[in-house]
Amino acid sequence: MAARLMTCADFDWNLPQGFPRPPVPAGNPMSAAKVELGRYLFYEKRISVNGKQSCGSCHRQELAFTDGRGRAQGTTGEQHLRSSMSLMNVAYVPFLTWANPALTSLEQQALVPMLGQTPIELGLKGREKEFLRALRADPIYQRLFPRAFPGESAFYTLDQVTKAIAAFERTIVSMRSPYDRYRWGGDPSAISESAKRGELIFFSSERAGCFQCHAGWNFSGTIQFEGGKKTGALAGFFNTGVSTYEAPNRGLYEYTQRPEDIGKFRAPSLRNIAVTAPYMHDGSLATLEQVIDHYAAGGRIEHTNKSRILHPFTLSADDKRDLIEFLRSLTDQALLHDSRWSNPWPQATR
Amino acid sequence: MYKRRLLLGMLAASLLRGQEPQPAIQVTGAVKQALTLTADDLARMPRATVRTSNNGMETVYEGVWLHQVLKKAGVPQGSELRGKALASYVLAEAQDGYQVVFSLAELDPAFIDNEILLADTANGKPLFGAQGRFRLVAPKDKPGARSVRMLTKLEVVQVRK
Repeated sequence: MAARLMTCADFDWNLPQGFPRPPVPAGNPMSAAKVELGRYLFYEKRISVNGKQSCGSCHRQELAFTDGRGRAQGTTGEQHLRSSMSLMNVAYVPFLTWANPALTSLEQQALVPMLGQTPIELGLKGREKEFLRALRADPIYQRLFPRAFPGESAFYTLDQVTKAIAAFERTIVSMRSPYDRYRWGGDPSAISESAKRGELIFFSSERAGCFQCHAGWNFSGTIQFEGGKKTGALAGFFNTGVSTYEAPNRGLYEYTQRPEDIGKFRAPSLRNIAVTAPYMHDGSLATLEQVIDHYAAGGRIEHTNKSRILHPFTLSADDKRDLIEFLRSLTDQALLHDSRWSNPWPQATR
Repeated sequence: MYKRRLLLGMLAASLLRGQEPQPAIQVTGAVKQALTLTADDLARMPRATVRTSNNGMETVYEGVWLHQVLKKAGVPQGSELRGKALASYVLAEAQDGYQVVFSLAELDPAFIDNEILLADTANGKPLFGAQGRFRLVAPKDKPGARSVRMLTKLEVVQVRK
């Protein structure tokens, strides 16, 4: 029998009607107090070796929790091979980061930028005790930790830090764009006529056919949701002819070692795509216009693993404008600026 | 003078919009009776619903069973679906030229319980946008590729004449 993804019935997700709730692991139930602790920790710069970066440095709210860079840069200046992925709707993602099939929980993923050394991102490795001592000494955390983990015998553990950050990330849910109001909210005027024409191009396999990889209400590859079956298959990874995929940036292959997985990367959600430039796993496409040109050419680089879904297509200048207008309509402006997801630390201190 | 022309132009545009044809499904090809079905026509036929779940989002589609539409067009069904007719299919075509096929047998409840719906409503509201005014819903197909959106035509093709 397929495993069912866990529920968290008591937490108020405040989702629009009809959208499923994200799954929550049994070992980390949601609570408002835990989410609030997670928000403070998400923007906590003492988590980095030099106090210069927090999670929020590479995942900036106004950029849909990306950083505007082609390739992420760690706190010591080391550059990552890939760009920071958006955290919008990250709770629904079954396989995290661009191409790691083993990374299936947010709690697990939080340790990667914290402790990873190739490259150094936050650089916490070897400094964990020092960091936790700093939290213990802070009056703000002295208030937040016990509220977030009531009944626990000890506080200020790394396990609690990752659980709180994960809980905060689970609340970053984007479902209130103008397109959502048009498509599910009964408001025919929510998007422009240009965006409506663009929608037809997006959803037509005879034209751009973007929906074939960026599918469903999340405009992404495979998702998970509360009560759904836990997906075991590695679906939603595609080679789209972005590069020649040289080591060590060969995507899914780096984990599976199967030649047919060279160049396969996760199809991320296109929600808020208008604010998450540059694009692709390596940030090699600067604008949405370039992305459309890339796909209109059937992918820039020929590769034996290039997805057969890709095919050249022709769009007029007006068609391209309409398609971009549709993509812009996926921007959830409210969430980009809502203070409930903003940096709670006073500007002078963080 | 300018205001009068502007008003006349607006009136003309309004009248033209009122004359735009209603969206319709053409049922053509090897049929006894070719049909042009609007939403009003479908509303007068026996109605059915199909409930689907797509990535956790539930939709209740309402419309008419496709086999009912074919019956109205005089397509052989039941005991009449035999011989050369079994080598016939329905070519479903969308506004953008997308096409898929269904054999007559798989659409006939006398052969198999396939429940393919010609839908015009989702969750109580008329279909619109990238759904088109009409679509097919094939809930027993594993991928959604034959649940044609923006449906405009059903052509019955007889391979063996």
